[in-house]
Amino acid sequence: MKIHKYDTVIVGAGGAGMRAAIEATKRSRTAVLTKLYPTRSHTGAAQGGMAAALANVEEDNWEWHTFDTVKGGDYLVDQDAAEILAKEAIDAVLDLEKMGLPFNRTPNGTIDQRRFGGHSRNHGEAPVRRSCYAADRTGHMILQTLYQNCVKEGVEFFNEFYVLDQLITEVDGVKRSAGVVAYELATGEIHVFQAKAVIYASGGTGKFFKVTSNAHTLTGDGQAAVYRRGLPLEDMEFFQFHPTGIWRMGILLTEGARGEGGILRNKDGERFMEKYAPVMKDLASRDVVSRSIYTEIREGRGCGPEGDHVYLDLTHLPPEQLDAKLPDITEFARTYLGIEPYTDPIPIQPTAHYAMGGIPTNVMGEVLADNTTVVPGLYAAGEVACVSVHGANRLGTNSLLDINVFGRRAGIAAAEYSAKADYVELPDAPESFVVEQIERLRTSTGNERVATIRRELQETMDANVMVFRTEQTIKTAVEKIAELKERYRNVAIQDKGKRFNTDLLEAIELGNLLDLAEVMAVSALARKESRGGHYREDYPNRDDVNFMRHTMAYREVGADGSETVRLDYKPVVQTRYQPMERKY
Amino acid sequence: MATPVLDKADAAGQPEPGFADSPYITVTFRVRRFNPEVAAEATWEDFQLEIDPKERVLDGLHKIKWDVDGTLTFRRSCAHGICGSDAMRINGKNRLACKTLIKDINPEKPITIEPIKGLTVLKDLVVDMEPFFQAYRDVMPFLVVKETNEPTRERYQSPEDRERFDDTTKCILCAACTSSCPVFWNDGQYFGPAAIVNAHRFIFDSRDEAGEQRLEILNDRDGVWRCRTTFNCTDACPRGIEVTKAIQEVKRALITRRY
Amino acid sequence: MSTTETTASGVGPVEGAPVYTVDNPAPLIEAPRKRTKKSPKSTRGNFELAAWLFMRLSGIVLVVLVLGHLLIQLVLDGGVSKIGFAFVAGRWASPFWQVWDLLMLWLAMLHGANGLRTIINDYAERPNSRLWLKGLLYTATVFTILLGTLVIFTFDPNIR
Repeated sequence: MKIHKYDTVIVGAGGAGMRAAIEATKRSRTAVLTKLYPTRSHTGAAQGGMAAALANVEEDNWEWHTFDTVKGGDYLVDQDAAEILAKEAIDAVLDLEKMGLPFNRTPNGTIDQRRFGGHSRNHGEAPVRRSCYAADRTGHMILQTLYQNCVKEGVEFFNEFYVLDQLITEVDGVKRSAGVVAYELATGEIHVFQAKAVIYASGGTGKFFKVTSNAHTLTGDGQAAVYRRGLPLEDMEFFQFHPTGIWRMGILLTEGARGEGGILRNKDGERFMEKYAPVMKDLASRDVVSRSIYTEIREGRGCGPEGDHVYLDLTHLPPEQLDAKLPDITEFARTYLGIEPYTDPIPIQPTAHYAMGGIPTNVMGEVLADNTTVVPGLYAAGEVACVSVHGANRLGTNSLLDINVFGRRAGIAAAEYSAKADYVELPDAPESFVVEQIERLRTSTGNERVATIRRELQETMDANVMVFRTEQTIKTAVEKIAELKERYRNVAIQDKGKRFNTDLLEAIELGNLLDLAEVMAVSALARKESRGGHYREDYPNRDDVNFMRHTMAYREVGADGSETVRLDYKPVVQTRYQPMERKY
Repeated sequence: MATPVLDKADAAGQPEPGFADSPYITVTFRVRRFNPEVAAEATWEDFQLEIDPKERVLDGLHKIKWDVDGTLTFRRSCAHGICGSDAMRINGKNRLACKTLIKDINPEKPITIEPIKGLTVLKDLVVDMEPFFQAYRDVMPFLVVKETNEPTRERYQSPEDRERFDDTTKCILCAACTSSCPVFWNDGQYFGPAAIVNAHRFIFDSRDEAGEQRLEILNDRDGVWRCRTTFNCTDACPRGIEVTKAIQEVKRALITRRY
Repeated sequence: MSTTETTASGVGPVEGAPVYTVDNPAPLIEAPRKRTKKSPKSTRGNFELAAWLFMRLSGIVLVVLVLGHLLIQLVLDGGVSKIGFAFVAGRWASPFWQVWDLLMLWLAMLHGANGLRTIINDYAERPNSRLWLKGLLYTATVFTILLGTLVIFTFDPNIR
């Protein structure tokens, strides 16, 4: 075991982590721990763009952007945070341009912008061009640009270090972050990082679904580490299902395809979104479009022999436009489906995409221990966090914005905190939890396999807590997850080695997924209303009287060692926008 | 731009092109295994799989890892060709396992899968990527401009200037090109195609001011002049970047700027 | 759903060979001349650029010189049968042919030597073998060039 001492430790090297690292490295001695090489992060999979009211191509202002974000989140958005997001978006885009990001340009040389779902002019009047983009690989460009600038700033990376535990020490009755424990993949060695400030930027948790646009590595490690240490998770029942994933595979096809004029059609060739969202049509917000697609499928208007998908039609767009604006997704269609998007429509289905919920933070990125108390020295940003700027449903292009705005804020706040704070004493035997966890798995003689349990988890999540939920299906999921958690105790791995033991890590990741799936299902069961990404068929309306509040889930360990999820609620911050009916 | 709705209705009734019912087939994966905790040499191991030929090679590797042999070790993340984790040598050619469908590489014969060449193998298909990223870091892969005040406006760049370096911005640093280069196989001191591609991206960016420094770096003994234009890198690139052309453009820039 | 089999070439524990375990792993087979943070410092100067250009330009000139040379020596005026001491002596009486042959000698030797140098750079992995091979190459090149130059300029047609 090795002990390292840093001012600031950042967990994860995706967009948020690297944006924080650029700021933190300038101000404090910073280490970035990442389970993947930084450029492998899933920020690179984002396609469509990053919203900012630059008004380069048409009239726009950040106040409209704030409204769209609040409305898109079905009014569960903390409006002070949304205002910061929209206001700082402009500088965030300009900062990236200064760092070298190759945005597409207008003929007069400014950053080009395009339409995107849910973004409108003057509070919902008509779609607006707000998304700054670089073809359909904006996320790739952001990830590369941030990594390039990390190289420039000399950011210290620990590549292929898995953070498996958060160290918390109680000082005078206040929980404080003392550091993290990481596992080095290459050698199997355990490293304790003592740090004044820790920033989680470890990304999402989509891998508990089967059809998902998320990477295999998005297993909610950050959320799980913090949750296990008694800190809450906020709004975990809200998960976004992106309308256009490649049929059966879940690979993302950007909303930018519809921003460029792509149309969703059912088996009769009908542009069905006109029925559900007369103004925004195919560019309504994602939860609305995903539900509409499933409604079409359920009512027998799905395409294919099993009627289980619909079409994304780009055939009326000129091939030059597809080549210039959507080169990657047309290539995906050719590679994975053998379809030529110039002439044939692409079969799509909604795919699990983004966790709106996560580790609760305030607008400075500081993690909350309950509704109001901050955990000194602990920060979070990006998909792992819940500020909450996305509320019940995130608008497209707001996630790339989120990582840049709140990644930067968390980086600055953490570094400034570590400049004036002292180290918190490490707990006794800080590595003990991780050592015990690893040894248990490595020496287990059980008969359960990781892959089997994971498959069953993914199937039950897809079947029961996806786009449509009912009391019945969620209960089924809760029971199934409990059963799987029980079986997980008996899981065994085949690789007993120390070097590059990915078998071991998949087992640990599955444990994280199971914990988070349970939180999600329990939170969803208690929310007896429909809002944004959480749609209950038995409660199809929004209930602002009882549920205009954030869910806060805590892990409770009983005297007998049994674990349960305890739910609490936190009020929503409302400033200028009163809840209205949400129509597109 | 009228929309041929009737055509769509016709098409909808038919089975999808490329998704007709397909029976599973049996394929053999011949994987190069190496585990220093067990033996000093690498060996071939055969695995028979029942698999849909429209699945990816990565799906096959997952089937092996999840259902047969958990010790099989490889890197992967996004599984659709944008993270660059899973470059490997499949049937003797560098590819991404997640962008290669079984049906496209003759499943009748055993499919050989090896780690990429020219980098130290650490375990099975996992190689030491540090030398590769070191070469990348050595070419100053970041925009260099004179410091200006707080951002109030973006810098202007015409669509033509933006287009000039578009091809090389697509790089995902998967190392498929560099590890397909015969020069790199025998001499890791060569910068390799990927580093040159990433230097190209900035040398030809109209906003950048350090092109001359980067050209000087690549004018090195182990720089662009070691390229033998074998085009292996262009063939290997999963993003379709014209790598060899980019290298030639750097050479041309060096010659025209020096003479 | 599937079966595993190890091919016959699989290496089992051989008697007497060291047994590798989790805590006593086998040494890795390092890649040749791998780049590190302390890689040889970069070289300044345009030598490689000049060498690269020289290869292309000398190649073009050599095509003319060598083909011309072959044409004269082997085809024109009764072909190869005419070549003798007298023929060479006659040609080298003219400074034009002296310069032609000198140019051909220098360019061919430098072109060939530089080509071999890149081949050694590409294929020799160990610093020692690189050193020796290049030493041998440079010695042979210098020797041949000097000897040839000497002969062209000091050739005496009345030697017999």
